[in-house]
Amino acid sequence: MSYAQPSLMPSFSRPESRVAIVRSEKYDHDLSALIFAALREFDLPVAGKKVLLKPNFVEPDPEGTINTNPAVVGGAREAFLRLGAESVVVAEGPGHERDTEGIVETIGLRDFLGPLSKLFVDLNLDEVQAVNLRTRASKLKQLYFPRTVLEADYIVSMPKLKTHHWVGATLSLKNMFGIVPGCCYGWPKNVLHWAGITSSILDINSTVRPDFAIVDGIVGMEGNGPIQGSPKRSGVLVLGDDPVAVDATCVRVMGLDPQRIDYLAKAGALLGHLQPGKIRQLAESVASVRTPFAVLPAFQKLVAGNGK
Amino acid sequence: MPSGPIQDSFCLEFLITNQNSDGGWGYHPASLSAVEPTAWALAALLSWRDSPAPAEACTRAREWLLKAQRVDGSWPSYPGQPQGCWVTSVASHSLVLQGGAEGAVQKGLEWLLAAWPAEGSLWWRLRQSVFPSGVVRQDSSLRGWNWTPGTASWVEPTAHALLFLRALPPQLLPPGATKRRQLAEGMLFDRTCPGGGWNTGNPLVYGVAGVPRTGPTAWALLALRDHADRAEIQKSLAWLEGAYSGIHGPASLALAHRSLAAYGRRVSPLAPSLGELYSQNQFFGNVLTIAWIMLALKEEESSPAPSAGEGATR
Repeated sequence: MSYAQPSLMPSFSRPESRVAIVRSEKYDHDLSALIFAALREFDLPVAGKKVLLKPNFVEPDPEGTINTNPAVVGGAREAFLRLGAESVVVAEGPGHERDTEGIVETIGLRDFLGPLSKLFVDLNLDEVQAVNLRTRASKLKQLYFPRTVLEADYIVSMPKLKTHHWVGATLSLKNMFGIVPGCCYGWPKNVLHWAGITSSILDINSTVRPDFAIVDGIVGMEGNGPIQGSPKRSGVLVLGDDPVAVDATCVRVMGLDPQRIDYLAKAGALLGHLQPGKIRQLAESVASVRTPFAVLPAFQKLVAGNGK
Repeated sequence: MPSGPIQDSFCLEFLITNQNSDGGWGYHPASLSAVEPTAWALAALLSWRDSPAPAEACTRAREWLLKAQRVDGSWPSYPGQPQGCWVTSVASHSLVLQGGAEGAVQKGLEWLLAAWPAEGSLWWRLRQSVFPSGVVRQDSSLRGWNWTPGTASWVEPTAHALLFLRALPPQLLPPGATKRRQLAEGMLFDRTCPGGGWNTGNPLVYGVAGVPRTGPTAWALLALRDHADRAEIQKSLAWLEGAYSGIHGPASLALAHRSLAAYGRRVSPLAPSLGELYSQNQFFGNVLTIAWIMLALKEEESSPAPSAGEGATR
């Protein structure tokens, strides 16, 4: 079976990207309505499409600090169905934990989606297809990707707003590491680390670029993220049609400078818009929701305004 | 579809029913045959308590595995992929259990013994001496096995390799195997989390103690059964017993149960707990989960039943 490969920068040629910041202080209200209202502003071409939601599920965490909150995932699924999507599946391939069912049960995903056997795909154990990478930032040249991802019409990256102890921040671009199948590369997908995290992020996203991103920043993580940091309440969801612009906006909300995060700076030259002038901000402004995140000493240089 | 405890007869029927026509198993029913689920399904079928064992299914599985082996002796995740990887340990181990494939096992063993992880190489050590990381605490002279060639040692693939070596008759092991085994066991002990147990293989990052996980802990414990008296083992068993009641996934539960039972630790019967978990998502139809459950139930047979209020329970 052959798969059409996405073009390298399908939406980057647009004059500007669109990013919406919407406030939501907690998870236990109607996130579906909130997300639906925000998505309508984008007039997304999802009617009749197979939509794939890619959250960030890392490991069992009943405290809710590490993983994309299931309420956000459930709300997004309902919203895309209301927009006319033919189907909406949730798919993830955790990077450290093989027991994916254990993760989704611990965090309560079934409470928001219903029975998961038809709605959730473990990307670590999906059938795979070799795909030539569209950029050569790393030495990888080719990766296996899950069939479910390659057959999706519309991919939505849904990370949590977190700091990251190797690359500064982990958002919608880094979240795409989760589409690399553990059955071929292991747990962790160490081949990506040895090829260079920054380079791998660029190669993966240039080849399977998310069409949209929704970031769970209601409660994020600061400090020693992405697993051992502390909860940080920001009270926002960040949505947009350009993952680079969404990540840049999130980083600004966190009080960091996107130009100082290596993979984001490079993605800004390759995959999407980084500069505020190229990002049309919808709903709240960055300044109105800015919530500085604590970072490890090694990453103080990323803080906006700090001397390099 | 079972509505009560999950018994090994259910696992047997699931595996027999979902064996592909080519003799292998995919990770899920009706999916492309892959090496790892085929190897585990074969090991599970070989553990079937009644005789005769499902001989025809096992023979077809062995033939599939033999065809999937690469010329260099390794196995890839899926047949035809250009590189062997950690599943070589699992496939070789299953073929040892079945017998009758000595040549393939020998080639697998030779590939595995020659497969060194990337850390600890001369170039790597030179780079580390010039640019010391200081982020991760580990003794990189202790080298185990990696998931894929050109990457670092991790707990689970190291455990799989050790389990394979442990299954081989000593006279089949070449001289280099002893050294390799000692290094790998040392690596596992070096990577024990400060509070006991294992995560994927980073026990301390930025000076912060890693949180152990059920899967790696269970695999490491199974691989280190010859060292039951060591303090790290006892601490890790205690951690796993404590974590047992909070396990929500059937795969982790099966691994934890098998590991604790292997050390003679008292655990509550597995079948009723599995029945509860089956009602969640029907185990996602995961062939690995079913195979690991069957192996755990087998291990349980040789472990004493717990008295009320004793041992790890859910």
